[in-house]
Amino acid sequence: MELLNLNIPSWSDLAYWRPEAILCGTFLAALLGDLIGRGRRPAISFVISVFGLITAGAYSVAAVLHGGAAHTIMGDLIIVDGMAAFFRLLFILAGLATVLFSWTAEEIMGRKRENKAEFFYLTVLMTAAMMVMAEARDLLMLFLSMEAVGLVSYVMAGYMRTSLRSTEASLKYVIFGAVSSGIMLYGLSLLYGMTGAMTFDGIRAGLLAGEVNGLSLLITVILILAGMSYKIAAVPFHFWCPDVYEGAPTPVAAIFSVGPKAAGFALMIRFFYTTLAAGADPSASAPLIELINWPLLMAVIAAVTMTYGNLVALRQLNVKRMLAYSSISHVGYLLMGFVLLTDAGLAAILFYLAVYTLMNLGAFFVVVALNNHIKSEELDDYAGIGFRAPWLGTMMVIFLASLTGVPPFAGFAGKFYVFTAVMDRQWFWLAILAALNSVVGLYYYFRVVKAMFLTRPAEGADTTPLKIHWLQYTVLAVLAVPTLVLGFWFGPLKVLADQAIGLLSTGM
Amino acid sequence: MGEHILSWMTFFPVIGAAVIAFIPSERKEIIKTVAAAAAAIPLVLAVQLYIGFDRGTSAFQFVEHYTWIKSFHIEYFMGVDGLSVPMMLLTALLSFICIIASWRIDKAVKGYFALFLILETGMFGVFSALDFFLFYVFWEVMLLPMYFLIGIWGGPRREYAAIKFFLYTLAGSVLMLLAMIAFYLNVSDPVTGGHTFNMLHMFNQANHSEWLQLTNVRHLIWLGLFIGFAIKVPIVPFHTWLPDAHVEAPTAVSVILAGVLLKMGTYGILRISYPMLPDAAQWFAYPMVILGAINILYGAFCAMAQTDMKKLVAYSSVSHMGYVLLGMGAMCKVGVDLQSAQAAINGAVFQMFNHGTITAMMFLGVGVIYDRAHHREINGFGGLGMQMPVYTSFFSFALFAALGLPGLSGFISEAMIFMGTFPAYRTVAMVSALGIVIGAAYVLWMLQRVFLGPKNDKYDSLPDINAREMFTLVPIGIIVLLLGVYPMPVLNLMKVSLTNLIKVVAG
Amino acid sequence: MDTMLPMGSVDVGMNGHFATVLIFVLIGFFFAAVALIVAKLLRPHDPNPTKLTTYECGEETRGSSWIRFNVRFYLVALFFIVFDVEVIFLYPWAVVFKHLLPLPELGVLVFWEMVIFLVILSLGLAYIWVKGDLDWVKKLVDRAEDEPPRRNPLLKSVTNEEGSQ
Repeated sequence: MELLNLNIPSWSDLAYWRPEAILCGTFLAALLGDLIGRGRRPAISFVISVFGLITAGAYSVAAVLHGGAAHTIMGDLIIVDGMAAFFRLLFILAGLATVLFSWTAEEIMGRKRENKAEFFYLTVLMTAAMMVMAEARDLLMLFLSMEAVGLVSYVMAGYMRTSLRSTEASLKYVIFGAVSSGIMLYGLSLLYGMTGAMTFDGIRAGLLAGEVNGLSLLITVILILAGMSYKIAAVPFHFWCPDVYEGAPTPVAAIFSVGPKAAGFALMIRFFYTTLAAGADPSASAPLIELINWPLLMAVIAAVTMTYGNLVALRQLNVKRMLAYSSISHVGYLLMGFVLLTDAGLAAILFYLAVYTLMNLGAFFVVVALNNHIKSEELDDYAGIGFRAPWLGTMMVIFLASLTGVPPFAGFAGKFYVFTAVMDRQWFWLAILAALNSVVGLYYYFRVVKAMFLTRPAEGADTTPLKIHWLQYTVLAVLAVPTLVLGFWFGPLKVLADQAIGLLSTGM
Repeated sequence: MGEHILSWMTFFPVIGAAVIAFIPSERKEIIKTVAAAAAAIPLVLAVQLYIGFDRGTSAFQFVEHYTWIKSFHIEYFMGVDGLSVPMMLLTALLSFICIIASWRIDKAVKGYFALFLILETGMFGVFSALDFFLFYVFWEVMLLPMYFLIGIWGGPRREYAAIKFFLYTLAGSVLMLLAMIAFYLNVSDPVTGGHTFNMLHMFNQANHSEWLQLTNVRHLIWLGLFIGFAIKVPIVPFHTWLPDAHVEAPTAVSVILAGVLLKMGTYGILRISYPMLPDAAQWFAYPMVILGAINILYGAFCAMAQTDMKKLVAYSSVSHMGYVLLGMGAMCKVGVDLQSAQAAINGAVFQMFNHGTITAMMFLGVGVIYDRAHHREINGFGGLGMQMPVYTSFFSFALFAALGLPGLSGFISEAMIFMGTFPAYRTVAMVSALGIVIGAAYVLWMLQRVFLGPKNDKYDSLPDINAREMFTLVPIGIIVLLLGVYPMPVLNLMKVSLTNLIKVVAG
Repeated sequence: MDTMLPMGSVDVGMNGHFATVLIFVLIGFFFAAVALIVAKLLRPHDPNPTKLTTYECGEETRGSSWIRFNVRFYLVALFFIVFDVEVIFLYPWAVVFKHLLPLPELGVLVFWEMVIFLVILSLGLAYIWVKGDLDWVKKLVDRAEDEPPRRNPLLKSVTNEEGSQ
């Protein structure tokens, strides 16, 4: 019977998939806990979520330490390899930090909020879905995982359901998401039509075997890029980003700005690298990349994205919106690594993503902590806050300086790596543009610093020191220390990123 | 400490800053004392450096060489030669004096001194790093403290001045970053064959890749580096951040800014651009002297027009850094006899040192009067000489040193520069010499308006200079006077290394 | 898996397949266009005010058609769909399950997979139950939050620039 020939998953697959399985279980358990507590005991879900994330994290670390080759599981749908391991750690870090920090956030836990517990287990579910995004090796799983992350995001964006802005954000997110998913789905179907394969490897084989029309491949790639650009908020699919970040609760914006973005990059790396670039014979892939002039395409997208994000961020007066545009510009820097689909470029993306996760989460969390007290994210309301909360202010300086890319902070190491990868292939105009862009970035990042430390608060303004929850101290310190240390000691992270990409090219 | 004297000098201040971070902010006196101690130890080590430095060789000394980030071939590589030792001495001296001069800071004391010490670490690091990456990190480390020092403790337009300083310098340094990466990718380590950030390997033209040997590429990289350094010097037209930053910065920060930070630009050109791209340096020699002349004259004319004492001193810095450029450019001309070239470049580096000390005195002097009168309007004073005789004598001393009075150190370095420049670029040198006349004009004019003439009754009760202020001015004054009479202690330090540099660039 | 040609068909290449699609689409457009054009040509054209009013089952129209529909209808429809889909999954599963059960490991796996699926779904049911989404009559506690109106960034920046100069 043909049934046996089908690649049906078995229980043993789960051995490579423990973190994901644990997170799914955590989600269900936390949901059950919420129901048992009748929605009035968010602590139950919080504890279960934290515990589940930590356990999943421990298993992910164990998997990294254990090393080992890539495993294709779940009937060819999923691959667990070095890159997946890298992103697992990243997502669990982001998820755990967000859950922990949200416990102290007024926007999530404030007295007027309903369904507080939901936030925690939705974050867990999103973490799991993002991990699957980084592991998908099949068009079906690609689409499913993206939609899973998307659906959770829509709900989380509208978490404050009595707030007009939050619901607006959610609706915008849904509509944009639906449109871009549709476009991408169209591209995926074209690709399937061209190659007759669903797995990335099969697509690659199909592309190399058949006579591929350059124009139709270009159109297909652009359609698929559209869906992925939406996920990572690259120009011209970035419109949702500022509105969603501003409308959604800040902790949600925090994880949006790093999680789905990193997952989108993971997916892009695996998809495009496998279908267009990788393989036993590197020279065989060159025609595919040249056929659609991929380097120029990516270089232009990267250049436009970073410049647009930076220039618009200059005009923002709301810190959350500013951070939203700044995240767009960072996507531009990240896309630089894609220009040549080289190992160094992709490893630079991984490196930058790790660094970016730390610093961007940190910056958003400081906004959360301040919002608890001043109930605002407007730049004007930050005047002199650095002296009321010196510790928070110092943290913010560290994160913003790192986002700017000033040594000795981690952001500099990330930029350095990306620039090196790009310049190694002689894309000088892109490197110069990116370098100048980071100078522009300085201006708007330091407007926040200026407001916090340099501007004197208005007469009669409250000058009492702010009280800060111990959990906020802990989480921010956990993010700030690596942000600082990775700035001058980034060897290990580079090795980790290089390994992840190295395994990607050999494991297929 | 003998083994790792450079590391100790560099990192002791930042250790001090870390200690300060744990002292409660109410204990202001303790914080200040710790800061002073953390700055004093590098000063002691600097003396040790001065004594132990072998003046007979151009090789790098006190070298420390360790692997840092292996996967990027980044090394922790420190060492000094005749070019960097004077700068290290200057930094150690001025940092300590500035800590003392900051004693009256009362706002957010903890932050101020911690940032100041971090800044000091950055300065030492720049002057002793021999790995390009390390150099760059130290170079950038200074930006953040400087931003806050100007921005929090500065004058009324401090926010504007701080971000302007930051933006300008960062714009320059990203160009340097790109040039650095270009070098990294195109210089191979002769031992391992991999990429390298080691400056000594970069100096060796044999290690450069074919691409890096293309003339156009070299010129472009030179320009990138040059703009990066020029902004720091600052060379006209990249100078506009300087007057703003100086006017708004607190006194001690102005001193560091003018005394040390400006030198980093010229130091960078001499340390990095010249030996790495000697042919481009020759190509750029003429533009360099022209820019020098423009700096001298433009700075001097602008200084003459100022009514704010600090701004006047700031523009005088622009003018004085022009002399340095003049000497640096003249050195590169091929076919000039070795003696002239030596005079030019020794004069230039000596001028860097002297400008550091003299401007420090001037800024400290302006700080003294600003602390008392709370303004710096030149026309708002008059006849202060009778009210504050001691202060007046100190300040006049500084001003005379600035205008290049023979017998004070500034005269010697300027004279050497002109001696070296005349054979190479006669016309430019003659035009630049006008700068000395204009320099005398603005200095004397200010002296007259502030200290001479009828006394302004408003200032009848101004107390004269106090012991602490005297303590900051006297040591520098002694150095200026000593080196004016007998400059050999500093000239001997750098002579051999600079002669070697001439061989590399113009030989 | 890589060759997806139907049995007995001729390989006309990728573009050939798309040509079929194209022809199909064109014919579709053609039919719709023909129907409309023919109707346009044949029907009498005689508009009068009564004829042009909106037709609503003989009732007089009143109010705007942009009314708010009770969101509960959608919710119920969604719940229905969810459990409908569940049944759709169960049918094929039940059909093949008989064949799979004798197989050593696979049978157990397939059984438990469906159990997990059902547990997740029933958790969902419990969720909407506990959260009260099955109650038709619900107390209206929602009110818009007292959040400050969004500031107009353009207006703001103008005043800000004046302030900082």
